Amino acid sequence: MARAKVEQQPAATGTMLVVMVGLSIAFLLFMAFLNVVKSGNLLSESNLLFAALIFYAGAGALYLGFGVTGTDSYVKFASLSTWAGLLANTGAVAHRWYAAGHPPFASIYEMLLSFVWTLAALTLIAEKRFGVKVIGTVTMPVAIVGVVLMQLLRTEVHPLVPALQSTWLHVHVTLAMLAYAACALSFALAMMFLIQDKMKTESFLVATSLFTIGTYAGILTRFEKWGGLSVVAWNPQENSEAFLARGVRLYVTIPDLGWLILLVLGAVAAPLVIALYARWKNDESLFTVANRAVFVSILLQVLTLLFFFFRARDGRYPSLDADGLFFTNLAASPFILSGLVGGIFVSLLYLLLLWRREDLERLLPDAGTLDRITYKTIAIAFPLLTLMIAAGAYWANRTWGSYWSWDPKETWAAITWLVYAGYLHMRVTRGWRGRRAAYFAILGFAVVMFTFFGVTYLLPGLHAYA
Amino acid sequence: MAVKPFQAARKLWQTMSSIKTGVILLIIVVIVAASGTIILQRPITEPDEMQRAYSPHVLRMLDAVGLTDVYHAWWFVLLLLLVSCSIIAASIQRFPNSWRYFARPYKSPDAVFRKALPTQKQILIEDEEAGVLAAGRALRNLGIKQELVITDDRVSLFAERNRMSEMAVYIVHASLLLIFLGGIVDGLFGWRGFVALTPGQQAGQIAIKNGTARTLPFAVRCDGAGQENYSDGSPKRWWSKLAVIENGREIQRKEIVVNDPLVYRGVRFYQASYGSNGKVDKLVLTATPATGEGVRQLSLSTDESVQLDPDTTVRFAEFIPDYVVRDNRIYTRSEQVDNPAAHLLVHSAKSGKSLNVWIPPIPGFAENALSPYRFDVQDLKMGYFTGLEVSHEPGQWGVWAGVILMGMGLTLVFYLVHVRFWIVPVHDVRGRLALWVGGTANKNREVFEERFQELVNEIQKELKREPAACASQHAASLAGD
Repeated sequence: MARAKVEQQPAATGTMLVVMVGLSIAFLLFMAFLNVVKSGNLLSESNLLFAALIFYAGAGALYLGFGVTGTDSYVKFASLSTWAGLLANTGAVAHRWYAAGHPPFASIYEMLLSFVWTLAALTLIAEKRFGVKVIGTVTMPVAIVGVVLMQLLRTEVHPLVPALQSTWLHVHVTLAMLAYAACALSFALAMMFLIQDKMKTESFLVATSLFTIGTYAGILTRFEKWGGLSVVAWNPQENSEAFLARGVRLYVTIPDLGWLILLVLGAVAAPLVIALYARWKNDESLFTVANRAVFVSILLQVLTLLFFFFRARDGRYPSLDADGLFFTNLAASPFILSGLVGGIFVSLLYLLLLWRREDLERLLPDAGTLDRITYKTIAIAFPLLTLMIAAGAYWANRTWGSYWSWDPKETWAAITWLVYAGYLHMRVTRGWRGRRAAYFAILGFAVVMFTFFGVTYLLPGLHAYA
Repeated sequence: MAVKPFQAARKLWQTMSSIKTGVILLIIVVIVAASGTIILQRPITEPDEMQRAYSPHVLRMLDAVGLTDVYHAWWFVLLLLLVSCSIIAASIQRFPNSWRYFARPYKSPDAVFRKALPTQKQILIEDEEAGVLAAGRALRNLGIKQELVITDDRVSLFAERNRMSEMAVYIVHASLLLIFLGGIVDGLFGWRGFVALTPGQQAGQIAIKNGTARTLPFAVRCDGAGQENYSDGSPKRWWSKLAVIENGREIQRKEIVVNDPLVYRGVRFYQASYGSNGKVDKLVLTATPATGEGVRQLSLSTDESVQLDPDTTVRFAEFIPDYVVRDNRIYTRSEQVDNPAAHLLVHSAKSGKSLNVWIPPIPGFAENALSPYRFDVQDLKMGYFTGLEVSHEPGQWGVWAGVILMGMGLTLVFYLVHVRFWIVPVHDVRGRLALWVGGTANKNREVFEERFQELVNEIQKELKREPAACASQHAASLAGD
């Protein structure tokens, strides 16, 4: 009796969710259409992006529904929604390309556009080719965040400076996007492997905590004496970052934001401290406290994000480098924004694992399969990384007369390459499998993230464009 | 006692060629390279910035160890050399085995091999010849090229694909060494410098980055240069028209832009920058006589004179970019054109005297009121230079060749699978005639297992079609005994 009931329930709620999501999509599209009819420009870039957002949101909801209940039909509709979103996204990319006269790679806004497109494409490929159906649970929320960020960071089409006007630029950046996307995929697969390999949820707690601690510590390097946080100023006339002199950005201090981030750092460190204490005292009940601390940290991070959003949007702030008050803008602080959003997202993923671990274990492929697919993904990522570095070197040679100048971005790209080469050596020659291989894959992605974000915002160099 | 050095040499070789050594060396390289991105490096960073960032004691220590120019430190170069040696040693150590594998294909498996092979099946048959023929047909159906192996005691089949895959790993490492070699050649024999040309000027000497100067066997002349801007004022395009002069003759002409250099005899000229040289090229002004009629348009370079009428000549005497009056004298505050002043000398032939006309009229110096002409500036064209980066990198061909080779090598390593199949008529444990089918693949085991099963099924299908060849009711498969 009980069994029949359990099996019946998912089927019922299944259709419900699909219908609800379908209706929401229709409603939102209808509202958008009304708005558009008013303005008169149907297929503008922002409308296409908005449509893509709606479809990705629908897909994300359905993927999450699948992740929670395991109803197969969700995946079908989620895929359809992803396809529709991808179509709209492609339209936006084409529009931007046409308007700008070059492929969308020349600013943060354009990079996000390309990245979100790649994410959607890879989600569909991973589903069809590798049979990993739940990857949408991770990629769709990231895509949604990406599109939202883009709406906030809307910038004018910027003409390219001379050094960026080369086919090799497009080749290099395309390869970089593909390589980094493949590395991100391998990271997700390695994490899924760890879930299936029965790694303890507490270990995931420690990892999540460490990641968020690292992120906020990085943001805190901009902490100013009286509790403010230093951010790049914004020039509203030029609609770009404000510069003191050529290549030197103007920084302003948003008061109290520094204290808030410090508080958040404490909040994300708390679960780690509690967990370690619980491990030391061998007290299981303290883990519940640690998990509650994660929940609290999410709330604090959301509050800080809102604070940052409103402060960045309104108000003018003093600078330590120049007299007067200056504007700032969310678009001027992509690192801080990504840090906050990333922190919230990762903490939410941890909660998903905590509350739905058994369902996830049921739905994901077995550990051995995931281990092998991780290797295959890296086998794709590594040649792409190689070609990306080579294309970058060739482009640098044509533009600056030197194919390798030990510029921080170049050096870290080489380090990334070496780390993945290390993974392949350990796997092929030393037979490393399972946990050790997964850790290595995760390390590789950490280096990729540093190369992509850390070098641009924490270290100086030639790669100032993105 | 001769044994000791031999043993020591052996140990050294083993250490050198072990994977562990390679990995440790790579980890050290990574740590050192990363430190070079965090510690400020000379000569990119200005000396005073270095002093601001580090205390004198710390800076002295960093300089002494070489951490302020890590990538050119002798011990870093040594480290890279050690990595190369480790790659070479590891390759030499493993190559003979792989070469044997590659050069001498194992076409006819003996009993020991057949017993040990993990992927195998035995299919019972009636007639040896027909069985082998059926298997041959099966292979052909699947598009696998096969070879009939005839030995003294039997006829068997051997099929193989992509033997090259065994050598793939060496190709990848060799390509890496080629890239290193290119880098070393450039480090030793390459150079990079800078030259600035004004239009019409030609130069055969380049200022090299390390401070010396290098004379080229030819000269480069600038015939024109310019900058185009976007509507918002940011630079869109810098261009230079260059000509190569050798032995007094013009060999080549090219208009270069950023990303498109001029190459001649291995030397490359890159469009790097464009700017004002602080001197006036042309001052464009109008001269209006006192009567108000007959306004003349003049375009003067410094020290150039123009005759306005039989009596009056005007000379553009000097240009002050950023004038300031102090102690009854006119000075320039800087080289930037922030507060320009032009000094004209209006000479009257009749009186033999010259008037000082200043634009703008600087009180105490300007005698503009006495001048028979009024001068108004229309345009100030500054002189400009075009900045070219020059480089000679003989080793880059090694680098590009290495990159292409590595691309091919990686494709072979990851995507080409060395697959082998053997089909041998044997007698099973119970003495019955059977077809032993075996196979190996050097990667992607799971996919290979499927293909192997495909082959077995195909052989069984072919055997069924040939009634004499198979005891179809007993087409049992015995998995290796």
